[in-house]
Formats: sequence, C-alpha cells, structure tokens
Amino acid sequence: MVLSDVVSPNKGKAFMLCNEAIARGAIEADVKVVAFYPGAPTSEILDTFSEALGSFDYQMQIATNEKVALEICAGASFAGFRSLTAMKSVGMNVASDTLFVLGYTGVRGGMVIVMADDPHAHSSQSEQDGRFFAPNSYIPMLEPATAQEAKDMVKEAFSISERHRVPVIVRTVTRVNHQSGVVELEEIRRSGFSRARWRDLKEEYLTLGEVARRKKLRMLERRASLEGEFEKSAFNHVLGGDAGAGTGIVTSSVAYLHVLEALKNLGISGKVPVLKLGTTYPVPRRLVAGFLKGLGGAVVVEELSPYLENEVAIIAKDENPGLRIFGKRSGHFSEAWELNPDLVAKGLASALGVPYEDKSGIVEEARALKEGMPERYPTFCPGCPHRGTFAALSQALRALSASGKGYYFANDIGCYSMWVFPPISNADSSLCMVASVGIANGLSNVVEERVVAVVGDSTFYHAALPAILNAIHNRNRFTLLVLDNSVTAMTGQQPNLSTEFTAGGREGKRVPIEDICRAAGAEFVEVIDAYQVKENVPVIRRALEHDGLAIVVSRRECALYGDRRKRRRGEKITPFYVDKSACRRPYACIRDVYCPAHEIDGDGQPRISPELCDGCSVCSRVCAFGSIRRAETEGERR
Amino acid sequence: MSFDIFICGVGGQGLVLLTNALGRACLKSGLKAVTGEMYGLSQRSGTVSVHMRIGEDAHSPLISIGGADALVALEAIEALRYIEYLKKGGLALINSRIMHPPVETAGLVKDRTKKYFTLEEAVSRVKRWTSRVAVINALATAKESGNPNAENTVFLGCLSALRELPLDPEKVKEAIAEVVPRGTVDQNLKAFEIGMRMASEALCDFGVCRNLR
Repeated sequence: MVLSDVVSPNKGKAFMLCNEAIARGAIEADVKVVAFYPGAPTSEILDTFSEALGSFDYQMQIATNEKVALEICAGASFAGFRSLTAMKSVGMNVASDTLFVLGYTGVRGGMVIVMADDPHAHSSQSEQDGRFFAPNSYIPMLEPATAQEAKDMVKEAFSISERHRVPVIVRTVTRVNHQSGVVELEEIRRSGFSRARWRDLKEEYLTLGEVARRKKLRMLERRASLEGEFEKSAFNHVLGGDAGAGTGIVTSSVAYLHVLEALKNLGISGKVPVLKLGTTYPVPRRLVAGFLKGLGGAVVVEELSPYLENEVAIIAKDENPGLRIFGKRSGHFSEAWELNPDLVAKGLASALGVPYEDKSGIVEEARALKEGMPERYPTFCPGCPHRGTFAALSQALRALSASGKGYYFANDIGCYSMWVFPPISNADSSLCMVASVGIANGLSNVVEERVVAVVGDSTFYHAALPAILNAIHNRNRFTLLVLDNSVTAMTGQQPNLSTEFTAGGREGKRVPIEDICRAAGAEFVEVIDAYQVKENVPVIRRALEHDGLAIVVSRRECALYGDRRKRRRGEKITPFYVDKSACRRPYACIRDVYCPAHEIDGDGQPRISPELCDGCSVCSRVCAFGSIRRAETEGERR
Repeated sequence: MSFDIFICGVGGQGLVLLTNALGRACLKSGLKAVTGEMYGLSQRSGTVSVHMRIGEDAHSPLISIGGADALVALEAIEALRYIEYLKKGGLALINSRIMHPPVETAGLVKDRTKKYFTLEEAVSRVKRWTSRVAVINALATAKESGNPNAENTVFLGCLSALRELPLDPEKVKEAIAEVVPRGTVDQNLKAFEIGMRMASEALCDFGVCRNLR
C-alpha cells in the first residue's frame, strides 16, 4: 500500500486495492469510529485504517472479536458518529446476535458494515453465503463489483444509513476485496471530532417483548421505504441489448464483471440486456419486474446460493409467469465454488443458444503437463514458532501413542491450521474459530483417548474463554495448547491483546494469557518457549498425562513480525547451515520440522537455503549430531 | 483488447509489490488496469497468483483459460501450475529458481529413490505449451544489484523488454521508485535495468523485444 494515496486530501486517481478504496471512501465520508477483528479477505481494510491513523482524527479499535467490533460501531452510531466495521461473513456469525437487534433498534450516525464472503473457500472454513443475513435482519445490503464501486457504495451507505436510521451492509466477495484498479479520489474534508452530549441525543435503543413487536412493524415500513429508494438507485442499471422477447441477464457483484467478459468472449457484447443490481436487499421489485417484462428468458448469474434467482422467480410469478429462468436450479451454474469468465461464458452460451468454444481440452492438456509436479500446500513460514511447538508436540504425542493411550487432536483456525496439510496432516477436527476447545469439553468425557486442543493468542481472546471456564468449572480433563505468537499472524500480523501496542502503533495494554487462566482457577498452566524443542517435550508430556485441564502456553513472536522488529532495530538475521562433515543424514531436521528452507542436495545431505532461512534454530535443536550451525561467515552461507 | 499477464510465485517473493508497480505505471499511462490477487492461506511459502489485466476491455479480475499474453513465474514449478492460463504460443518469463516445497522434500526422505522435480523438467514442459520461453536467473541478478529481494523488480524489467507491453519502461521505473522501500530505490532500479537487458536478448530471438536505446 502507498499510504499517500489513502491520505492525500486532494482529488485525483490512484491504483488501489479494493480494501484500500473502501478505507479511502470511509475517510472521505468523514467516518469517526472504526473497529475490526481481522479476517481474510477484509484484513487490509483494518491495515489501511491502522496505517492512516496518524493522519486523521478517527478513533480505531482492533477488537477482541467481530461482535465487539460491531458493538463499538453501534455505540458510536447511537451517539451520532459515523462508524464502520469490516468482517468476513463467518465473522458475522459471531457478530450476528447484535446485528439482528440493530435491525430493531436502528442507529443514528451512519453505520456501515463491510461483510465479505469467500466463494471457493480460498481462506475460510466454508463457502457461507452471507447475503441471507440482510433479509433475515431487515438490514439493507449493497454489493459492489469493482474497487471504484466499493468506494462509492461505502460513501453512499453512510447516507442511506442516516436517512433510514439503520446500519447498511456492503457485501463483498474475495474477488472484489482482492481486486485492484484505478480509483477516483475525491477531496477529503474532515469535520473535526468533539464528544457528543448524550442528554441531547437521548433515545431508547432497546427491544424486548412488546417493544420488539412494535419495532418489527417499523422495520417492515423501513424495508418498504428502502425498496422505494432503491428503485431509483444509480447502483442498479440496465446495459445494452434490446429486450424484445429474447433472454436477459440478471447479475450482481463480481459475477457482473465475469458476465461482461463472457459476453465479449462470446462475441455478443451489447446484444443481450443485462440488469446489474447493486442494491440486493431489499431487491427493487418494480425495477426487476420492468426488466423481466417481455423477456422470454432470464439468466441469473451469481455466486453461491440462488439468492437473486429466488427473487427473480418470485417477481416473475406475477409479472411474467411464462419466463424461463436459467441459473442454479436449471443446472447452468453451480452453487459450489466461485465463478470465472469461462464458467459464465459456458452457462450463458448454453442458456442463450450461442456457440461456445469449450476449454476442457486446454485444461486437460495442461493437466497432463503437470503430471508428477509437486503440490505446494500452505505451510508454516521459515522461523514460524509453531514449527518448534509442533516438533515437541509430535514427539510427546508419539510417546502417548506408544503407551497405548492414543489421542484426539482438535485443531483450530489460525496459522496452526497449516498442520492439517501434507506432509504433516495431523488433525481429527478443525471447525471454526475456537471450536477446538468446545469440542474438547464434549469429547474428553466420552472417548478413552486424551483430547488435545489448540488455539492461538488471537483466538484465545476472541472466544476461547467461555469454553475454558466451562472446562475449569466442570472439571473436564484435556490438554490445551495456546500458541501465543504476539499478533494475529495469519491475517497479516495485526496487534491483539497479546501485543503491547494497538492500531496505528499506539500503546496497548498486554493481557497475559497465563494470568487469565490461573486467575480463573486452572491448576496446570505452563509457559514454554516455542523454539526450545527438547526442553518442551517433557512439559507437554506432563500436560498430556495431567488428570485435569492442562494448559500449555507456547510463546514466541511470529517470525514475520519479529523480523520486522529486528530490521527496525538494525539487527541482522543470521541463517543456519549444515556442516556436511558432521551430518549423518538421519533427516530429523527435515522429518520433524518440514521447513521450506530445507532441501536435499545432490549428495543426499540436507541443505539450508540462506535466502529462506530465518535463523530460528529449531532444526539445529532436533539434530542429534550438532551438525546444523549458525552461519557466522559468508562462506558458511553458501 | 486487453493485455493480460498472469503472475505467479511463492509467498514472500513480492508479487503484491510487482503488481502495484505495474498498476501504477498503467495509471501514469492513462490505461485501465484490473487485478485479481490470490495470496493463499499461508503468509509465506505458499502458492501466490495475480491476474493482471490492462486495457479498456478488461472487465473481469480473472483471466480466461488460455487468455494470458504473458506468464511471469517467479518460481519455475509455479509456471507449470498455472500454465492453462497462458495463450498457446504466449510468452513465458520464468525464474530459474526452484523452491522445493516441504512436502516434496519429505517424499525424498521417505523414499530415497525419488528425485526432485527439476528446473529443466519444468521448462521443457512449458516449452510444449509455447516456444517463447525465457528463463531468467533473477536471484543472481537481484544479488548483483545489491538486493536479493529484488527478484520482483528484475521481472518488471524483463516484462518491460516486451514490445507488446503497453507501458513505457520509464513509467514502470517511476512506479517502482514509488512503491519500493525508501533506501532500496537505486538497487531496485538497477535490478530493473539488468532484467530488461537480460530479457531483451531472449525476446529479440522471438521477435518480440522492444527497441532499447
């Protein structure tokens, strides 16, 4: 990111990631409070606000979880301040308890919730379709396709929010968030911040029983007035083609861009009418009805569930009962995985009856060329402290298995998730943020094996505490590893409660994990240094044998975060090398650590790439012959 | 028309910066640019890919199968991983660097008769897709320029030697100077220059090189 593009007060143009454009849009809209819990593909929104914090007067909190982030924004909005949060849609699952109530209570200052889905589950545990949060909570939803549109929509969302006194969801998908493009910058004119007086703004933000029943009616009225407004919204438009009695296309989000590309590739650009919807809840029914009128068929192009397709079917039932609908149900598109220009071209060609040059031959030819090519699974970075922790855990678990006891390993969401991928492939379960500890509470009472659960520092604060307290209170017996690497590493090393600073590099109070556990009454709490593999094995073995809840906090800062700090202090990173004369080739350095910096060279000996080695020392600690040493001279680095 | 470049490599090789520089150069040239970036689950050492599309006609952030005019692979195995995106006969710029993933090395330790997938194998297979393959030793070049992390700017130089790239190399250089960390500008510009000259030889053989002054 080039910070000057985000903070420049002037009009202009910039090449920006959509997530940066979203932040810029909110800053142009004079947002006053932002709060986040990071999650791909939205994390760069947080990062951008954090970097730009020094240039503006907005308040920013990196919250313990998405629900708290949403509530921080709601609180600010109650007092009349514009607020924005961003989360992935699985984060919205955590925040949704509050979201649903905000539909009832409404807000005052413009409140925008950027919610990102991840079709294809590129960096998520599921392909959840978050669009259904909008109709379910009666909260309006906009869907951008490009970085420019995302910025425009975020700005307009603040106004919609204030006009209708309701939060607005701007729903994105990975291919929108992680899309860069040329974006128009408008002037930044900030209004300055001063505290509001609640007594001047006082209003009731509550809902229960009779109050909820009354407010439900108001929500229905609000939906009607939002729909009326969206009928005229510039975010919806019809493109090209003469409707006639032909077939039209209804689409939204990134699927719209794939449609344009596909029409071009099929040689029918401008010949087929396209209704691009930007306001997808409430759907402007009169606009859609007008588009469908007179059409013989409608192709609905969208990712994941048939959300728009359902709307089109319902509208067509009254307005154009004979309309043929092509979409998920007709088999033209799948509910699984993300779309791309080729899949869209194929579906459109079939629905429109135009020739399509099938690409499966090319794909097949490419597949043949890839025969025997190695996979490159996500893995721990060189220097990652988890590699050290897991090297010790592996040894301890092997001992447990050898004793006949066996184990159940509950993995979780974080960098430690990489342990589920080959060549390690060790996990009995991995569900969602902190489910590991809840699962352990249940499983540990019903299986013979020892249950081992893992969480990270960020996940610990996010939602592990209720499950840990449950374990302490109910005297459940399992082993919990808390891998504390000081930051929320997987999403880009954002600070969290384990970091001594917070957003914008400002000072934050560190909340030590072991103190919380001990204060809550956990009897076995040990803190280890992730790199000290040999010393850690007996500690973890004791934790596996302990007749009760055993918590091991394995601590060592994330290597990427640590390296940045080292560079800032002017410290050099010294790689390790293999002393070939001492190496007896037991390959423990490879088998126990699986580091990307390790290779086998021509004579069958391990070799450490000096470009990749982070100097963490873990491989040297598992070598029984002491043949892996720190490369102090240039010669040793080759 | 659009000019489509598929860029791939391994997490940590600076693909995001490479993309940013190209995008900024497009902006400076008054060209539309759109990208689809995939960083993968891990912060380092995983597969990373960027669909870089330049031109008014570029709508989707994703390149169609067989649609890329050029494939830029900062790691050789990765060139093969995404080969279906390259047009038949398109230009492949491939780093001679191979980074063997841990799962491959693990396989060698388990079965001593196994061999690594080699650079020669990767390149020869890509050559069955297109004859226009340039193999660039970007790591050596980056080291020569004084910054081993400058493999990405070496490839910006290589790309700039391509006549069809609708960007003036001077604009790419300006963009590089804006996006790389301060204090590494000179090294990166040197890496760019060497990269451009190196690729130019190979590209001239294919008849697609830019006239360099």
